[in-house]
Amino acid sequence: MSNRDLGSIARGIAGHWHGAPGSYRVGAIIMLLHFLLGLFGPLLAPYGYAAMGTSLPMEGFSWRHVLGTDALGRDVLSRVMYGAPTVLTLAFSGTALGFAIGTSLGLLCGYLQNWFDELVQRLCEALISIPFLVLALMAISAVGPELAGKPILIVLVVALVYAPRTARLARSAALEIVTRDFVTAAKLRGDPAWRVAWQELLPNATGPLFVEFSLRAGYAPVLVGALGFLGFGLHPPTPEWGLMISENRSLMFVAPLSVLGPGAFLASLVVGLNLFTEGLARMLGRSDVVVRA
Amino acid sequence: MDVALLIARRVVTSLATLLMVSAIIFAMVELLPGDAASRILGREATPENLQVLRERLHLDRPALVRYGIWLGDIVQGDLGTSLINGRPVAEVLEPRITNTLQLSLYALLLYLPMTLIPAIVQALRRGKPTDHGLSVLNLMLLSIPDFLLAAIFLIVFVVWIPIFPAKSSVPQGASMLELIRALTLPACTIAVAMAAYAVRMLRDNLIEVLESDYVRMAELKGLTRLQVLIMHALPNALVPTLNVTALNLAYLIGSVVVVERLFAFPGFGSLLVDALQLRDVPMVEAMVLIASAVYIAANLLADIGTILLNPRLRRA
Repeated sequence: MSNRDLGSIARGIAGHWHGAPGSYRVGAIIMLLHFLLGLFGPLLAPYGYAAMGTSLPMEGFSWRHVLGTDALGRDVLSRVMYGAPTVLTLAFSGTALGFAIGTSLGLLCGYLQNWFDELVQRLCEALISIPFLVLALMAISAVGPELAGKPILIVLVVALVYAPRTARLARSAALEIVTRDFVTAAKLRGDPAWRVAWQELLPNATGPLFVEFSLRAGYAPVLVGALGFLGFGLHPPTPEWGLMISENRSLMFVAPLSVLGPGAFLASLVVGLNLFTEGLARMLGRSDVVVRA
Repeated sequence: MDVALLIARRVVTSLATLLMVSAIIFAMVELLPGDAASRILGREATPENLQVLRERLHLDRPALVRYGIWLGDIVQGDLGTSLINGRPVAEVLEPRITNTLQLSLYALLLYLPMTLIPAIVQALRRGKPTDHGLSVLNLMLLSIPDFLLAAIFLIVFVVWIPIFPAKSSVPQGASMLELIRALTLPACTIAVAMAAYAVRMLRDNLIEVLESDYVRMAELKGLTRLQVLIMHALPNALVPTLNVTALNLAYLIGSVVVVERLFAFPGFGSLLVDALQLRDVPMVEAMVLIASAVYIAANLLADIGTILLNPRLRRA
């Protein structure tokens, strides 16, 4: 790649950045900070995530322990920093998996519009009708003790919650596109359904799909946190933020920072993602996206 | 199309969805690969235990027959028997559901002003600092997970300003005042979490309506801004908000689980978590089915409401 190419890409990014709404930019910066925390947090943490007795238990703020210590005398800030990559990885891989499954199914269904479409739609409808936290908890409890507490289970559960919702959106996006001429052309050319979905529908549905991904990703850390909080997520001593809030909630009255610390990190991540989504939606001319259910 | 036919069709679809939900629940809980009995018992499995449990779950029969039996019983009002304490599921559920209904109604009561007032203020002051300020606050609240919100409420209103109890379990025969005092914090948590989400929607809808021709007409007629808002804009903006509220219910049910857990409130949600942890299969199946039925029913009602309120949909 020549310097001129690089220069034009850089200008393109800069133009994109300056044209973007403020919420998009603030959201992107917050997300970048969280990404850096996820990358370097464990390296920079002053104590180990399971190092007990680093000080007296249940301490409040001090310069040695900015967020205090928990009941076992573990440094809360270090645990938060160690937890960052875990939270980010779980939330994003779960969202990505659910998004990939949902998008492929939804686009395919929107193109086929046959019995398969009907079947998938009914199934998605039913899955959406089970309140998502209940669905997630039931799935975790159903797979039994061997997988309990494994990160892969959390990823699969997030995907299970998101896939039907994404499929519904992808299908409705596809319905608008299949009426266009280039889809008919591809069909007459004899392209198989999956190729039409992949080559014709997907590139034309990126706008709403990107917003959907960003929206779902914004809620994923909360879902992962809620599972951890209820004791259905990762097992201790993993420093997952939701689990930490749950573990430290009995200390809430003695050392409130041990709850508010991980809470503030979790909330700021979600704020960043939400701001980003809002700005993105505004850039793409869609204001109707904040649908959490 | 005839309104009655439209509604009838919606009712049938809802029932079909519910049937599908029951199949999914059954499949997830009982049909996952491996032996359901050993999954339920986990480490406590002994050959004798497994044998007893297999018989009680009718595991010797084909899955489709078991599903038929289970569904047949439920349709006849028999929710089964708890594996943990041997009591009928319906009997265990009843007081819990009553408790949760009280909590949800209280939350819903708080939710209405929490949604209407900020949305109206924002719509009237759109583009001004008040609007932006409330939007930022709204986004913050939207981003705070409910379990964290509950924890913050506990720290503020139980520790710093001790006006509410930390545990929200209400003894039998407690007075109305005690009940309200115990339920306020959990109800507020649920209401704030739900309102944060609906305010945006209502604000956007209100602004859209305020820019329409008939609102300009009403203004030219000489009505004040507030009169226009309450008489013309609000009724028209309520329909989409009604739908959002119904969708929000899926969130409310999740919220109830988390909030009840944190406040040690003996309701539906905390019972569900217990039943899941103890792998009380009949209890879990019945509870998930009820939770889904509530959600489906709420959406059905919202749809019927929309059909009745919006004449344009009737002709579609």
